[in-house]
Amino acid sequence: MTLTDADRAKFAALADRLIPAYRNMPAASAVDVQHAMLDLALQARPELAEDFARGLAACSAETPSESINALFRQDHAAFGAVNLMAVAAYYMTDEVRRLIGYPGQESPPYDPHETPGYLLDGSLERVVRRGPLYRPTPR
Amino acid sequence: MSGKTGGAARRDEPVDVLIIGAGPSGAVAARALAAAGVSVVALEQGHWLDANDFPGRRREYELVAQKRWHPNPNVRDLPRDYPVETSASDINPLMYAAVGGSTTLYAGHWTPFLPSDFRVKTLDGIADDWPFTYEDLLPALEEIEREVGVSGLPGNPAYPPQRAFPTPPLPIGKAGQKAVEGLDKLGWHWWPGTNAIPSLPHNGLNPCARRGTCMTGCPEGAKSTVNITFWPHAIRDGARLVTGARVREIEVNERGLATGAVYIDENGRERRQRASVVIVCANGIGTPRLLLLSRSARFPEGLANRSGLVGRRLMMHPFSAVLGVFEDELDGWVGPFGQLVESFEFYETDTSRGFVRGAKWGAMPGGGPLGVTSFVGSQIFAADEGARVEDAWGENLHNLVARRFNHCLVYGIIGEDLPENSNRVVLDPDLTDSDGIPAPKLLYKVSENSHAMLRFHVARCTEAVEAAGAIETVVVHQVRDTGWHLLGTCRMGEDPATSVVDPWGRTHDVPNLFIFDGSTFPTSGGVNPTATIMSVALRQVRHLIAGRRLQEAA
Repeated sequence: MTLTDADRAKFAALADRLIPAYRNMPAASAVDVQHAMLDLALQARPELAEDFARGLAACSAETPSESINALFRQDHAAFGAVNLMAVAAYYMTDEVRRLIGYPGQESPPYDPHETPGYLLDGSLERVVRRGPLYRPTPR
Repeated sequence: MSGKTGGAARRDEPVDVLIIGAGPSGAVAARALAAAGVSVVALEQGHWLDANDFPGRRREYELVAQKRWHPNPNVRDLPRDYPVETSASDINPLMYAAVGGSTTLYAGHWTPFLPSDFRVKTLDGIADDWPFTYEDLLPALEEIEREVGVSGLPGNPAYPPQRAFPTPPLPIGKAGQKAVEGLDKLGWHWWPGTNAIPSLPHNGLNPCARRGTCMTGCPEGAKSTVNITFWPHAIRDGARLVTGARVREIEVNERGLATGAVYIDENGRERRQRASVVIVCANGIGTPRLLLLSRSARFPEGLANRSGLVGRRLMMHPFSAVLGVFEDELDGWVGPFGQLVESFEFYETDTSRGFVRGAKWGAMPGGGPLGVTSFVGSQIFAADEGARVEDAWGENLHNLVARRFNHCLVYGIIGEDLPENSNRVVLDPDLTDSDGIPAPKLLYKVSENSHAMLRFHVARCTEAVEAAGAIETVVVHQVRDTGWHLLGTCRMGEDPATSVVDPWGRTHDVPNLFIFDGSTFPTSGGVNPTATIMSVALRQVRHLIAGRRLQEAA
């Protein structure tokens, strides 16, 4: 879907109602959710484009709080699409990920031959010592 | 079956064996048959997927996990999926149409059925015994585990002694260690998770990279699925796998023998694959659907359905989850996902609990930030109509993510689902797939036994996370989108009046028609069933191969 600058500005205003600045966390518009990340989110969920566009059309940039609350009460699907795009775009930004300590799905190295801690601290040994749990096949 | 044909069959050329479905059981059968020199064609409605298709390396991974890679075919709504009518079902069935079947999206928990699972009637006086025992199946299980590349630690006292797993256990991580702290304090059973995800390179698989995106397909090529571990061997040995092929009907001749199947190819053309023997491996919903579609004058109630049991006794394992939130950081996005730790403390029957049978727990990491806001955290946002958006989201969202993201441990509880004739798969009179073939409809109610079982287990699981120091717990009771395990709808047994297939997977009514998938399970166990599905398929196909000279054929 093609979004105008006005559409993006309106989305940013709505997103800020859902995700305001709070403590060390920036507001949605402060990390530019309305541009690249919104495009990525919409591209990932093309089936939401219609609901998203309807939600955006029903809202006003001048009265974002009234608009988003009316949308929540009157059109759950459209509200859901706008809300998901805002939240997803926000948590996909580098800055927000850095602030919450999320590097994205990474592949940390490990040594499969390293002796696990539970074999050294006795915790698994206690399980073994309690003996079998299974019921054997009746003969 | 001649067993003399060499090389891959050409399109529509008659073959010894036709396999319908290229998931775990179909792949096990195809590989063994091809290795024995039997000509094999398999028809699969889905396609081959490549590790690069999966979204786990991409920024938008969590977002596409909720749609394109969702395990519910009704949510995905892809052309290769068939829809399932679920308005009369308490649980949504989950599956995936592809080479590799639903294991494409499974978590890879490797939990073979226990000895008692095969003797439910004898031990607990309910449901039915299997026609064979745990010990009968063990050689097949150990052989399958070598091919699958299971990672795990031997010596688990929840199971009888068995051969060691082919690769060492995966790290349990900070979240797994947190689970251990609680279970150890309570003196309850736990064991490092056994997974169908190798920790070392194995049989075409890469070692687990702990990316934690197992349930949207493994982009590392490390989760064990049969498109990697079985099909390349089968194809090398001459099996032919036709993808994009949706089977509409199994045909029979005037002697009541199966002659092959009619399928719709990717171009919408109707084709016919003839075979001496037909094996159905289309899962506990797809298999009865196909048999019910295959009506004829000889079989007016559906193929192999003289018992009336085709489609009945559907079991899907009702599932609950308990989330523990901790002060400590737990690296919640680090895999496997996959089970870090498993517990069988309350697996066996204790009638003083008010129900029979039991459940297995698997501890998993909490996932990414979007996951903690929408999966187990969804209750937080169940704002009533009068609430203000800014109160339900706003600071509340920030606080929720700060509190839960990277601080969560999730226990998944899989409880045994007992067979009931009223829980069943039928054909929907209106709904069809993209080829116009009638879709299945589910009639399924969670039993009182399951309700009581899950309540008990949720309470114990809550104690376990509290013992580990949880500062907050969240329970999601009987998650609707959890029908991963589709079992029981073509029951296996000795008596043709009370079962669909015999103890070797041969249908009682059609001597050259076999079913090797989980639909044949007389009972469901309280564990993830893929290990047992693959082992049973190997047991059955080995018997078919051994007796092939005497096998009646069309």
